[in-house]
Order: sequence, then structure tokens, then C-alpha cells
Amino acid sequence: MRPSDSHEVSQLNELKIDVGALVVGAHYALAGNVVMVEQMPIFGGYAGGLEETAIIDVATTINSFVMLQATWHLDGPVHVRWGITTAREALAVAGHAARAIEANTHMILGNQYYTLAGPCTLMCLLETAAQAITDTISGREILSGVAAAKGVSTDMFTAMEARMMGEVAHAVAGMDLKEANILLDKLVASYEKDYKTAPKGKSFSECYDVKALQPTDEYLEVYNQAIDFLTGLGLTYWNK
Amino acid sequence: MRAIGKKVTMFDVYDRAKTGAKVAENDWDYKIVPQTATELKTKYQIKIDKTKIIPEDEQLVNNLFQAGLEMLERCGIYCIDTGRVIKYTRDEILHAIEGAPRSFTYGEGKEAILVVPRSYKDKKPPVIQGGPTGSPCSEELFIPIHQSYAQEPVVDTIVDGVLQTIMGKDPVPNSPWEIMAVRSEALFVRDAQCRAGRSGMGL
Repeated sequence: MRPSDSHEVSQLNELKIDVGALVVGAHYALAGNVVMVEQMPIFGGYAGGLEETAIIDVATTINSFVMLQATWHLDGPVHVRWGITTAREALAVAGHAARAIEANTHMILGNQYYTLAGPCTLMCLLETAAQAITDTISGREILSGVAAAKGVSTDMFTAMEARMMGEVAHAVAGMDLKEANILLDKLVASYEKDYKTAPKGKSFSECYDVKALQPTDEYLEVYNQAIDFLTGLGLTYWNK
Repeated sequence: MRAIGKKVTMFDVYDRAKTGAKVAENDWDYKIVPQTATELKTKYQIKIDKTKIIPEDEQLVNNLFQAGLEMLERCGIYCIDTGRVIKYTRDEILHAIEGAPRSFTYGEGKEAILVVPRSYKDKKPPVIQGGPTGSPCSEELFIPIHQSYAQEPVVDTIVDGVLQTIMGKDPVPNSPWEIMAVRSEALFVRDAQCRAGRSGMGL
């Protein structure tokens, strides 16, 4: 690791820490490293409802800079039922917390991505797009992902989800806030009814030629379906 | 914001973790945190409309910030190892916010990125950190998987996955194999970045 790499240390849910994190944090601080402090508040957990979770997200984010001398904070509000960051409630917590901090401080913020659907599915790409819009239009500086299929299965992720996260961020940067909210409402509504039947998706070796490191034609077709859907909602990024 | 003697450090925090008020963890989780959050929700009149995922009301935005600030000041942080609460003064919190980095360089050479604060109106896109974000990753595909992220032009830095095995062994926490695994993750990602021609890329 180089000093310019991000050195990670995590807080605990909610508003808790362990001594081990302080030990790790002390080492990073004295070494002069870039420090990324991570914490994922749980909507429906100890905090309770939407507003309470957003309040705790703001408090937790500030604490990263007080307690652990963060260079930047990596957020990730997660839904207690689905274990994802792309649910409407998780996005609302993230969007509100980021805007509250962006409007009142210069602290540098990131957010991490956990989708319900797996790679090579339209739903996974649309979940990713929704969060990328939320994060970009709420003023976050770093988007980090994507842990597809809740990030719990081995090799169930590919660079195509990261491509979607990045391209959508580039597509919407500078978009009017009200316009973004209308778009987001439609986009989230398109997948939130399918949580119980979310497609598991395919593993990296099923999505890529693992020697040539090229995505399969099947995944490119799914990706193009996502582009068509987002273009239909009004994004013009791919109209070139 | 009033003057303070010096900013809070990890060493101050550790000392406070040994001397702060003793609290039962269950009380923290099920009473202190949720009750304080609910109280502040009422005090600051926080109401979120789920059809507006990003708030449009500036008063709501500022009230939420004040509620979060007061949440941290009033509750502090619970240390699970000592069973005590670490508290800060409001001025200590405000000085830490003011002293937070205003920029940093992520990565080296031609892949170095200067990360600076963005506004929600900013036309400049955020930094894209691509990768499995802590998801479990097989040892045999670790390098090709991470190379596939590094070769994406829209990806600026890498966030890596977690090795499921190292040299075929389970990297059990608090074992020597855990150290082998985490060091290998960093080495393998750097290798993947180099294979993609982006040796200076941040990790």
C-alpha cells in the first residue's frame, strides 16, 4: 500500500467503536496515510425509521472526522430487510445525509453499492443507476462499487456494474435536482416491486471471457437494454 | 465556535473510552440511540418524503445537519470493549469539521486524481471507485477480475474484493493466514492495475 492509497477503518452500528479500530486509526494517522472511514447505518435497525437513520448517518459521518481523522467518509445506508443500499429508503437516507453535509461542510463523502439482483441482469444495472443518480446529485465525491447480489456470493460481480455506476454519474452530473428526483422516483419504482423475485444473476466467469477479459455478448445485450431504459427516462449520455 | 486547546486525537479518544460514563450496551442500542434520534427528529421537524429521494427543501437540509450534529454531541460514541461512552464538546466537533481535509491526491503519476469537494449542482462527475467492494473473491480469479475493473476507462480507482482462500487456506481471522491474505489482496490489485497499464492507480 502507498500513502496515497485509501487506508480503511470502520465504525460500528450505531454510533459505536471498538479499541481495535482506534489502534488501526492511530497507525494510519501517525503514518500520514489517506484514511477512509467506513460505516453503513441500518434503516430499520437500532436507529429505527427513515428520519432517525438519516440523523444517525449525519452524526456517524461527522464522527469519522472527529474520532478517526478521516480523509474521507465511506457511507452505505442499508435496508434491514433486503440488505441492499439501492432500496428507496436506503437511497433517501443517503441522499438526505449527503445533502445535509454537503450544504454545511466541505467534508469529502463516498457511498458504496450493494444491489439485490446479480450481474448480467437489467434489475442490477437499474439499481446501480438509481444509486449513482442519488449520490451524484446529492453532492458526493466518490462512488464505490458494485457489490452485486448483496455482496455475499463468491465472484458474483463484474466490471460492467462499475461501468454503469460511472457512466450514469457522468450522465447526470449537473442535472437539475427536481428533474433528478422525478427520474429517480420512476427508476426506483421500476425495480422495487421485484425484490422477492430478484434475479440471482451470473458469476464473473459466466459473464466474461476470463482470458480475454471481455464481457459476453449476452451481458452487452443486457447492458444495452439498461441504456435504452435510461435513455427512455431522459438521459442523453449515450445519444452519440 | 470557541477556541479549544487542541484537536481531538485517537489518543484522547482512547483515554475517554477508559474514563467515560459506564453504560450497558443494550441500553445504548435500544434506548439511548433510538430515543435521542426520535427526540431530535421532533425538535428539528425532520420529515422525509420518499418520493423526493434527494431533499429539495433547504430548511430540511440544514435542520438535518443540526440534528446530526446534536446527536453526536449529546450521545457521543459507545466503546464496546470498555462499555463506556466517549464524549466530545460541541467546539471539538466543530473544529474537527473545520479541520477536515479540503482535498487529497488519490493514486500516483498520470493516474493520480485530486479529490475535491463537490456541490450537488456540480457538473464535474464524482470519482469512480470500481471493484467488488469487499465481496468474496476466489483466489484463482482475483487478478483477472480486478484487471477487468482497472481496464474500464470510466473507473478511476479500485476497491477490492476479499480473498476467500490464500494458497488454498482459509484466512481465518487472527491467524497468520489472515495477514497473508490481506497483504496478497493489495499486491494482487497492484498487479492487476499494472496489467491494465495503470500502475499509478489508487487502491
